[in-house]
Amino acid sequence: MFGPFRITNVLNGGLLWKIPWRLSPTQKARQRKRLRAVDQVVETLSNALAKKGETLKSLERWKAEMPTEAQMLPRDKYTMFDRKAKRYRKGIHKLPKWTRVSQRINPPGY
Amino acid sequence: MSYFRITLHRSAIGLPKRTRGVLAALGLHRRAQVVFHPVSAQFAGMIMKVKELVRIEEVERPMTKRELHESRRPEPGFWVETPRASSFGMRRVLATGQQQQQQGEGQQEGVRL
Repeated sequence: MFGPFRITNVLNGGLLWKIPWRLSPTQKARQRKRLRAVDQVVETLSNALAKKGETLKSLERWKAEMPTEAQMLPRDKYTMFDRKAKRYRKGIHKLPKWTRVSQRINPPGY
Repeated sequence: MSYFRITLHRSAIGLPKRTRGVLAALGLHRRAQVVFHPVSAQFAGMIMKVKELVRIEEVERPMTKRELHESRRPEPGFWVETPRASSFGMRRVLATGQQQQQQGEGQQEGVRL
């Protein structure tokens, strides 16, 4: 019943991984922290370049299009659009490498 | 002339080759490594490519390797204080002197540790 070779649905063969469908509160807290860290990087870059009077297309585009952590809705922070999912949303932790890529905006209306 | 102090905070394992290439171009090869690059649009664009992986600060001048090493050195946990005539030290001198007087020897010099 116990030990490393116990019969569980995961070990019993088949493709069954128990990934929770939503993030836990601590995962959400860390996600917000990561979002803020990226905001911080963008802000530092923007301030440094503004002091020198230089502009950067990718930076301007990011600032124009991407909301900051404070401006984002919770549903955009923790879920993302998926055309195959019920109600068109899935947890952001289903995105490969989700802790190291930016996924902030979703199709309008979804 | 100001510089970006760039720290690789997250590893690029499993990320696209282009991302890893940008890190290599910045001179970042291992986590927690720190590099300095001048503030310019060119380096800012490279940082934008890897903004999820790095932490940056704007600093006035780059630190040398030795300065970085010294800044990472932890506190030793003890401090060697120079001996001086504090009340504690005087009491010890007096106490040892009294002991020696009791032993019958009146010498007081050389007892400070």
